[in-house]
Amino acid sequence: MLVSLKWLKDYVDIELTPEELAHRLTMSGLEVEDIKTIRPQFSGVVVAKILSVKPHPSADRLSLCVVSDGNQSYPVVCGAKNISMGDIVPLAKVGAVIPGGYTIKSSLLRGEKSDGMLCSEAELEIGDDESGIMHLPADLPLGLPLEKALNIEDTVLDINITPNRSDCLSIIGIAREVAAITGKKIKFPTVKIKESNEDINSLASVKIIDSDFCPRYTARMVKSIKVGSSPVWMKTRLEAVGMRAINNIVDVTNFVMLEMGQPLHAFDFRFLEEEKIIVRKSRENEEFISLDGKSRILPADTLLICDGVKPVAIGGIMGGLNSEVKEDTQVVLLESAYFNPSSIRRSARKLAMPTDAAFRFERGIDPEGVVRALNRAAQLISEISGGTICKNYIDEYPKKIPLTKDIPLRLDRIRQIIGTQIKAKDVTGILRSIGMVLKQKGKGTYLVTPPSCRVDISREIDLIEEVIRLYGYDHVPVTLPVVDVKEMELTPRLDMEERIRQLLTGSGYTEIVNYSFGTPQAADILSLPENDERRKTVMIKNPLGEDLSAMRTTMICGLLETAKKNADNGSFNLKLFEIGRVFINSSKDELPEEKNMVAGLLTGEITDEFWCSGKTVDFYLLKGSLENILFDLKINNCRYISSSIEPFLHPGKSCGIYLNDKKIGFLGEVHPDVLEKIDFKNNLYIFEINLDILERVYQKKKISYREISKFPAVTRDVAFVIPDAMEADQMINIVLDQKEDLLEKVIIFDVYKGKGIAEGKSLGLRFFYRAPDRTLTDLETNAVHDRIVRNTVNLTGAKIRT
Amino acid sequence: MINELKQLEINALAELQTAETEEHFSNIRTKYLGRKGLLTGLLRNISQVPDVEKPLLGKLSNELKNLLNAKIEEALQQQAIRNKEDVLLKEKIDVTLPGNAIKCGRIHPVIQIRREICSIFVSFGFSVVEGPEIELDYYNFEALNIPHDHPARDMQDTFYISDNVVLRTHTSPVQIRIMEKVRPPLRILSPGKVYRRDSDVSHTPMFHQIEGLLVDKGISFGDLKGILTAFLRKIFGETTTLRFRPSFFPFTEPSAEVDIRCVMCGGKGCRVCKQSGWLEILGSGMVDPAVFQNVNYDSEEYTGFAFGLGLERIAMLKYGISDIRLFFENDIRFLKQF
Repeated sequence: MLVSLKWLKDYVDIELTPEELAHRLTMSGLEVEDIKTIRPQFSGVVVAKILSVKPHPSADRLSLCVVSDGNQSYPVVCGAKNISMGDIVPLAKVGAVIPGGYTIKSSLLRGEKSDGMLCSEAELEIGDDESGIMHLPADLPLGLPLEKALNIEDTVLDINITPNRSDCLSIIGIAREVAAITGKKIKFPTVKIKESNEDINSLASVKIIDSDFCPRYTARMVKSIKVGSSPVWMKTRLEAVGMRAINNIVDVTNFVMLEMGQPLHAFDFRFLEEEKIIVRKSRENEEFISLDGKSRILPADTLLICDGVKPVAIGGIMGGLNSEVKEDTQVVLLESAYFNPSSIRRSARKLAMPTDAAFRFERGIDPEGVVRALNRAAQLISEISGGTICKNYIDEYPKKIPLTKDIPLRLDRIRQIIGTQIKAKDVTGILRSIGMVLKQKGKGTYLVTPPSCRVDISREIDLIEEVIRLYGYDHVPVTLPVVDVKEMELTPRLDMEERIRQLLTGSGYTEIVNYSFGTPQAADILSLPENDERRKTVMIKNPLGEDLSAMRTTMICGLLETAKKNADNGSFNLKLFEIGRVFINSSKDELPEEKNMVAGLLTGEITDEFWCSGKTVDFYLLKGSLENILFDLKINNCRYISSSIEPFLHPGKSCGIYLNDKKIGFLGEVHPDVLEKIDFKNNLYIFEINLDILERVYQKKKISYREISKFPAVTRDVAFVIPDAMEADQMINIVLDQKEDLLEKVIIFDVYKGKGIAEGKSLGLRFFYRAPDRTLTDLETNAVHDRIVRNTVNLTGAKIRT
Repeated sequence: MINELKQLEINALAELQTAETEEHFSNIRTKYLGRKGLLTGLLRNISQVPDVEKPLLGKLSNELKNLLNAKIEEALQQQAIRNKEDVLLKEKIDVTLPGNAIKCGRIHPVIQIRREICSIFVSFGFSVVEGPEIELDYYNFEALNIPHDHPARDMQDTFYISDNVVLRTHTSPVQIRIMEKVRPPLRILSPGKVYRRDSDVSHTPMFHQIEGLLVDKGISFGDLKGILTAFLRKIFGETTTLRFRPSFFPFTEPSAEVDIRCVMCGGKGCRVCKQSGWLEILGSGMVDPAVFQNVNYDSEEYTGFAFGLGLERIAMLKYGISDIRLFFENDIRFLKQF
């Protein structure tokens, strides 16, 4: 909220500099976000009097004036019509600078000397009026600089009012705070009403049909008003806080809203049919044109202010075009009401009309300020527009607005929450400074009545907050909680994530973080079949854009997109990974299933250093990274199954990853069709693994050392020629399934295809034989080895390559 | 004759000094010690020496012989070492060429900050817990004392999945889920992604938060100040100046916003701190009794405090990043810097 210091000083004396005041307010909970200084955009402009006006001899539209600044008279040529002898006007003298940086010079206009310029509001950027020369009050001393005469200089504080502090949504509200923190007295404006003999009750009536939405509606009538522009003091105050001046009636309603926090509305009484106000909820599909000129179909249950026939305002939100105050308005009906905060909020949101009035009503206005504001506005309207106020006011109050109750407060409890022995007199002093009424109830206990404007205070803790806030957070001593000392550990999954992160970055992968939402086309880009779980997408109802509307069901799309963006930026060699969640819609539960995943991507050269023979990444580099992760997590029974094919992976260069017969993920080369869809030139290799399944298997296993054999191993190499379709895993399993005790391990030392192999491929296996207790003899070794090779050949039909 | 012997020694040592190759040394050996060498030649004339001098002369000439032999031997050995070095030096490589192991990757800067903060609070005895990112309205709002139609909902623009399901707007719902299951005392820390419908230089629709909660008997606002001061000094340095100022969160009361002296300008006022000299770092407060009531904790018996902070903001301040969107563009040229 913008607060003009000049305006604020109408209600409380301030001796602090704006910076000091801003600091004090910030430290007591009203955060000042900005301090702006308003300075006139002109200089050298003074108050002057027109001594004479004559027509210009050679230009019909111009006139020749003689103008005095009290000291001296100046000839001035003027083009405006609204001047006559005796007017008090702003004169920009020779040498004056007016907005836009123009310097006034002595000049000849159509042959007549002109030593200055008479100015309009718009020319001085004081107001919007550009219709003619600005007229100043007659009692201003001549020659006084205009900025002094109009008191234009001001400082404006931009204060962030938290949603609980509706009492601070007014200048007087802020003044109350300032008074409390500086120990000054607050000066409320005096409201004096001169009423005519005509009773409003004989002229108009108010009927509230829906008292839940509108518990109280008050109204006053002002007759014989003259609509015009507001006085400068009011305009400068309104404009300083960003409110555009419109006319003296609307300006008063805005002024009082900003001054007291009570939104008001003025109806042109001519347009209120049957001379009555009816407050009711909207019916289905009711249409209404509000003051902003927009036509809206109102949602059901919108509160409407109607006359005898039609709606004339959306209650608490905005008036109607059909009853607005016009230039020729003579009688106004002034409304000051209390609307139910949550119903205003619902309507304002549904209508997307966050108006100043709605903002205050939905946060809760002072229930006891309704009539005060009504009278204040009537008084100002009558003073400014010359109207007469009718006798009495209408006060329809069918439903009592609950006022804050007395709250018990314990000194002990305050001390316990703050953590310091604050003195009783400090507590009572603070609470009284913000208008609380305290009654001592017993030793160290009070009964506290908050002022009616503090609708946020209903519990003891609310009072404690007030005490500590004004006591000063700075004065609360720093302590440390007395708790048992124990250092905690990460949960197994977070611990696992950390290990994976370490390992992957160590292997060259860089971690990325993508948005959890993306395009709903993701499943199509990946060619996922209709029944795939990853098509059960959770959709956002109000996304920032269609391409950010679908919660991801896999992290692959994000990785592909990241690779693409980086390649477009000239980074072609990429090793990326992401750890995060995917979301699968659940038909059973209200909340979707969230799965923790790790996914990775490789593309381009293995390293950026081309001098050492650039090799490109491949399936096995990616698989190696995965094997490292599993090795680190001590998960050693994963299987890679090529028949488990993802539609977005190369069918010949991909596999599913299985742990205990459960699929935990996949890896492989991205399918050329997908590369084409995303317009990516190089090969991409990707993997994705479900961490939740890994977590169940992963524990910090106890490591038990196995003694290293002192005896040498004997090795034997054999190359088997097997069919192309046969996988290495299968061969190894056939060998290991024979469960020969002396066979320590078998590794693949060669895979060969080509010259010398007519059909199939050659798989070179190296067998390691070792006994724990002796050196094996050739004879012993051969016996076992021959048996294994013979069985393997028999079981697979492999040929031995010689 | 003794003088001649002395002269011979001087000459031989001088020649050894200048000798360089293996050949030179062996020539010197032959010249002085060989069968037809100078020393041998000198000793041939020993008969002409008086008998009394003979023993001395014999001793001296032996010493000279041994000396020269030793010198030559040593020089030859050094020469052999030098030769070997020469061979190795010819194999010299360019050590300034870059290594060709696979270069390390980087951990995402926001995750690095998350680890740092988690480890600090773990050392304070907090456990790290998690909760769902797609959350029921109840946990995200209602249970945290943010009812429907309450203006406090405006503080966070929410993504909706359905009327009753939202993308969590903060990590605070984890508090409720944990308190529903665990009785106090409690010390938990909950990091994670949160979502708000907002996008500009300083807002992304997804970002990371860490939420902390401590509940026990006799926990005071002073304790909140103590723990958060200790934490912020660990993150931003022991001399960091901070201030606690009143604010409003529906789930804490009293609430405090914590600012640190601007790390960019030191408090003089700059663009980063919007001329205020202070930077908002975290929100905190004493848990509101209404929240305790929702999880059946007795607020007369237990008090506690909660705090939450945005990780991107910390990373931006630490690294001088002015556009938050960079964290999610995943440009490798950006990520490699951390």
